[in-house]
Amino acid sequence: MISAPLAVTLTVNGQRRQLLAEPRTQLADLLREQLNLTGTHLGCEQGVCGACTVLIDGVPQRSCISYAVDCDGAEITTIEGFDADPTMATLRQNFSAHHALQCGFCTPGMLVTARDIVLRLGEVPEARVREELSGNICRCTGYVGIVGAVCATARGCTPQESAAPIAAAALAAPAVAAPVENAAPRAAQPLKGGNSLTETIAIAAPPEQVWEAMGDLPALAACLPGAEITEVDGEAIKGRMKVALGPIKVAFAGTGTVRLDAATRSGVLRGAGRDGGTGSSAEGELGFALAPSATGTPGGTDVAITLQWRLTGALAQFGRSGLVADLVRRLAQQFAANLQARLAGEAPPAQPAPLNLFQLLWAALRARFGR
Amino acid sequence: MKPAAFDYARAATIPEAVAAMRDGARPLAGGQSLGPMLNLRLARPGKLVDIKRAEGMRGVALSASTARLGAALTHAEIEDRRVEDVTRGLLPHVARGIAYRAVRNRGTLGGSLCHADPAADWVTTMTGLGATMIAQGPAGERAIAAENFMLGAFTNALAEDEMLAAVEIPRLSPAARWGYAKINRKTGEFAMAIGLVILDGPWARVVAGAVEAPPALLPRAAAALLAGETSDLDAELAERLPHLSPADRKLRAVSLRRAIAMLSEAR
Amino acid sequence: MDGDGGGAGIGARVLRKEDARHLAGRGQFTADLRFPGMQDVAFLRSPVAHARVGARRASGDVLFLDDLTGVADIVTRSSIPGYKLAPWPVMARDRVRYVGEIVAMAVAANRAAAEDLAEQAEVEFEPLPPVASCDAGRAEGAALLHPEWGDNLFLHSRFDSGIEAVAASAPVKVELDITCARQVMHPMEGKGVVAYWDHRAGMLVVHTSTQVPHLIRSGLAEVLGIPQAQVRVAAPDVGGGFGYKCLLQPEEILVSWLALTRKAAFRWIEDRREHLVAGANARQHHYTLTAYANEQGRLLGLDAQIEVDTGAYSVWPFTAVLEAAQAGGNLPGPYDFRAYRAEVFSVATNKPPFAPYRGVARPGVCFAIELTIDAIAKAVGREACDVRAENLVPGSAMPYVNVTNKHYDSGDYPASLATVREQIGLDAFRAGPARDEKGRYLGIGFATYTEQSAHNTKVFAAWGLPLVPGYDQAHVKLTPDGALEIRAGIHTIGQGLETTLAQIGHSMTGVPFENIRVTLGDTATTPYSTGAYASRGIVMSGGAVSRAGEVLAGRIKAIAAHLLQTEPDAIEFREGRIHAGNASLDYADVGRAWYLRPEQLPEQVNTAGLEVTEGYKPATDNGVFSYASHAAKIAVDPETGIVEILDYVIAEDCGRMVNPMIVEGQTYGGAAQGVGTALFEESPYDDQGQPLASTLIDYILPGPTEIPAFRISHTETLSPHTAHGIKGVGEGGAIAPPAVIVNAINDALATLGARITQIPATPERILAAIAEAQA
Repeated sequence: MISAPLAVTLTVNGQRRQLLAEPRTQLADLLREQLNLTGTHLGCEQGVCGACTVLIDGVPQRSCISYAVDCDGAEITTIEGFDADPTMATLRQNFSAHHALQCGFCTPGMLVTARDIVLRLGEVPEARVREELSGNICRCTGYVGIVGAVCATARGCTPQESAAPIAAAALAAPAVAAPVENAAPRAAQPLKGGNSLTETIAIAAPPEQVWEAMGDLPALAACLPGAEITEVDGEAIKGRMKVALGPIKVAFAGTGTVRLDAATRSGVLRGAGRDGGTGSSAEGELGFALAPSATGTPGGTDVAITLQWRLTGALAQFGRSGLVADLVRRLAQQFAANLQARLAGEAPPAQPAPLNLFQLLWAALRARFGR
Repeated sequence: MKPAAFDYARAATIPEAVAAMRDGARPLAGGQSLGPMLNLRLARPGKLVDIKRAEGMRGVALSASTARLGAALTHAEIEDRRVEDVTRGLLPHVARGIAYRAVRNRGTLGGSLCHADPAADWVTTMTGLGATMIAQGPAGERAIAAENFMLGAFTNALAEDEMLAAVEIPRLSPAARWGYAKINRKTGEFAMAIGLVILDGPWARVVAGAVEAPPALLPRAAAALLAGETSDLDAELAERLPHLSPADRKLRAVSLRRAIAMLSEAR
Repeated sequence: MDGDGGGAGIGARVLRKEDARHLAGRGQFTADLRFPGMQDVAFLRSPVAHARVGARRASGDVLFLDDLTGVADIVTRSSIPGYKLAPWPVMARDRVRYVGEIVAMAVAANRAAAEDLAEQAEVEFEPLPPVASCDAGRAEGAALLHPEWGDNLFLHSRFDSGIEAVAASAPVKVELDITCARQVMHPMEGKGVVAYWDHRAGMLVVHTSTQVPHLIRSGLAEVLGIPQAQVRVAAPDVGGGFGYKCLLQPEEILVSWLALTRKAAFRWIEDRREHLVAGANARQHHYTLTAYANEQGRLLGLDAQIEVDTGAYSVWPFTAVLEAAQAGGNLPGPYDFRAYRAEVFSVATNKPPFAPYRGVARPGVCFAIELTIDAIAKAVGREACDVRAENLVPGSAMPYVNVTNKHYDSGDYPASLATVREQIGLDAFRAGPARDEKGRYLGIGFATYTEQSAHNTKVFAAWGLPLVPGYDQAHVKLTPDGALEIRAGIHTIGQGLETTLAQIGHSMTGVPFENIRVTLGDTATTPYSTGAYASRGIVMSGGAVSRAGEVLAGRIKAIAAHLLQTEPDAIEFREGRIHAGNASLDYADVGRAWYLRPEQLPEQVNTAGLEVTEGYKPATDNGVFSYASHAAKIAVDPETGIVEILDYVIAEDCGRMVNPMIVEGQTYGGAAQGVGTALFEESPYDDQGQPLASTLIDYILPGPTEIPAFRISHTETLSPHTAHGIKGVGEGGAIAPPAVIVNAINDALATLGARITQIPATPERILAAIAEAQA
């Protein structure tokens, strides 16, 4: 799929440019590939290393996580656009004198940041200079020369006047939000190891009834929105599961198997699926067992669930995906609440929350029970 | 590492943005959290609608008791006090600790709140301040208390066709004091723990942030603070954060004790 | 001539010639090159660590291995007995052996479109059991990466000088278990290659971000099956290398193949995620050590088991076992002892191949031996710095051949330790408080190391490499207008060779520094060098420039003497001119005579003219040993586990410094990477061989607030073996910091009874160590 290029007007280093760019085009790529301003370097494309830092409307910003179309109308200054700038001239001299560059790859972004520090803050202690430089990574110099050059350039400088305050209007009536519920949230069970979770759900119904209810698959499915079963064949199932982790939305398509033991009211199911978009795969194993409640309502049921899951591919390699544990916990809680509501004869409330890997496995369970 | 293709539109007004979202577009503000995920092709929206330039998104409105900040104001604008501060310096202090200056120059208050990363600063700060989120959707405006806004990691309380338009922040009194202790390994990186304490006359709040889940209010600790007593912070944390390991809870206790200690420092 | 620098020669702190273009944003890196019709390449990489690869389908311009013609596997041979071959297909054939291994290549008008094509390719993977650690690889019944091997060992190597007698009699015995994390090198510019076909020359032209262009030419020609004369490899500006860019890489071969077969221009630029998950792996060692000492803490013997988590294949040309050779050979460090036994296991694992990262094994061995010294000191109840000093090879013993046959050529190791001890203020520190006003525990740590540099033919031949470095060459030429051109096949990757080689050229010929131009790293325009690695550039290429410059100086003198009607011996180079008594000439006068006014030349003029190519290697080429001591004062927050480096001092000796500013820059930069190794950098894998750090949020590179303001002092003990007494210095800074910082942490935590033996020393690990000690 290619989205249609859009018209973009930028003023780049003082020159007005009318260009076309696909919406996904990073500002850095537009500068480098269309305007041949190759001094703006792409070091990580993750917003961390700072090599791509340019001025957008006069302030340093990352050109790797700013998209060209989203800068329409802006003034851009790249490292090539400072040749008449006296602060930059001094910085350049000092960078050389302090041996503040070796390979030179981080240097353009470093200079753009350094110039902003000098102008915005003037002379400040070395510790502050280090803090302000912390969004630009250099792998060669150990920062000794860079910090020295910035301090030398800022020596005796006073901060330039900051931009005007943003005018405030009068606010007639403050908003009122619904009162805060201060009740403690339901306690979740701790994670054991990185990729496994044990959760016990207490349900106020006897085990026979719960076991039976869990066999009513379509109803059980309603407790966990978002999954779709496309095929059931004996113990084998095929299905899809949509998962969301903030802006990351994944649809795992895959297969699973279910084995149930009515005698012990327990079961194991395994599932695996792949998301074509991110090229990630998930596989998991869910064990569950019903037992007369030890802690909950007398005569009730404890559903003990052990869940192990494993991610492969881009999703697994994205560090913040560790937070998937929080989603899994919340889903388990939702599931418990909904199942309980269902057993009490209430319709499960609509669940706007996104699905997760936990649900992939429950989807498989649902399918099995649906035979 | 280039994004999967997406379409893009720029909304001139909030209703225009909401209409685009009803048609399936996802909102783009500063894009400083979304951008990396786009580049990694982990986030693959079909269409983005730029909401940061919509009318009213960068407004500031003041009343005797609150300040209403447009959601598209940037961290740097708050850091530089270009937005009038009603929090006795808390907001500028927090802003300066968010990521890096180049990110703060584009990243927005509202974008960070909606992204709902547990380790990010604003979700904890707004919970501590008792702020109110002003959402805009097809049915108009809706107010959501900050502590109800983040539902979980990367999950907020907005419907698919709702967007965060503004944040209303209660004014702290001239006598108010606060402590904000963020523990992290590297400047600008995600926090390992955040402790926030605000004491304003008869009102106090204690919040444990960066807890891999929404920030946790600690009412007993707050009450003890008002009474001038020490509370059993560890016990309250154990109740509120059972999903964390004891070692991880201990780190949150450390950040809270440091935040409390900041109260007594001259300000 | 030597030293007649006129302020810009050998020893002068001159500013760099490289700076101006980079400061202007007009450096030219691989991604900056533009050729008409150039297309971008993206790769589909394996999402699984170990699998059989089944059916492959794709639409558009996507190629799999079967679509390539005439491309051989990367086969890295070694003459070391017992070494096992691991042919590395440039794209997956029937198996993938690590996450990130190339499965398909997509070509499109731009990178985004190429990525679209690559991700739409469909490949069936039939999972095989992954080997995600050395333990897993060595376990009974482990899955085999290379089934024909029968095990998962590239090599099991041994050093043994006899340990039994010492083990039986030594009164003090110390045991340690030491772990170093897997790291990724992270030059700020990743790998990149642009290749096209030059129709006029009939030649494949490859612009690649490499430290070793001449080696890459040999390697490409071999794998592509074409004559070397049909390949030109040129390195543009290189944004850092650190070892990653001294290897022949599959991507280089694939992009070159496209240019060769399609006769057009193609580009691949590595992105940060590719770098993190698929390349530049290094450092992961595990040590099981038993050290023997006497009651004073004198080290008597060391018994070591070392495991190197080597990854799936053997990199060309440095092999999968260079690390093992360096680890086993360098573990004894700068210490004087005679009983040593080491067993080194180079374990094949389902991870990207190990590459030789700055310091190659020595940050690990330094960490291991220096923790051992501190542990011995603790066992005998003495100050670690004292015990360290007594164990170091004394200056009076130089030259010294150590237990693994390293020829330490010169220096005074205990003196450098004494310097940093003084500068860090150990004695005052011991008299002061153990905690600071914030309640943090304070500690001081030390390490002393040697940096074998410019080791050459003898050493690399013994390591069994397929390509052994010999004479490095340089070409010097006086132009008709009296400027000096220097050409060398080595490459500058940030270390400033355009400046330092010009300084040497200036010292040898007297041509003004500003009139000297240095051209490097292009097989079409520079004489052969194996390239920039092993801290060899300034010794080897510097030596070649020195020798060629000396010859050229003689020819300049001969012509100048004739023009001035005097004898060559009467000629002096001074202040940028050529003098004889009161008369003087400009270099342009000599240039003009040779090129434009030959009637002015003497009759017996050397017909080779004003161009000289010379080769150089030191007569004794075991390597020359730079050395240094580092010391750090740190504070450990016992509540958060966060470490702050309060002070960091370095006393280094790299022989004659060509440019002290550059020596300092190399040392600071190396030390900063060492701080990363010590405290931050880690590329973790799960038990399925999935890399868990694919962004710089997961993999923390230290920034300006994490790196201390290093303080440095120098001594200059000239090497007896090299031109001008120069030694190499590119890697050394990276070697000591893990040892220094962890020794300091352990010094700080001693009162709590906690000890760290694993790097990086993350807050979690420090808190866990404290908790364990208190339990």
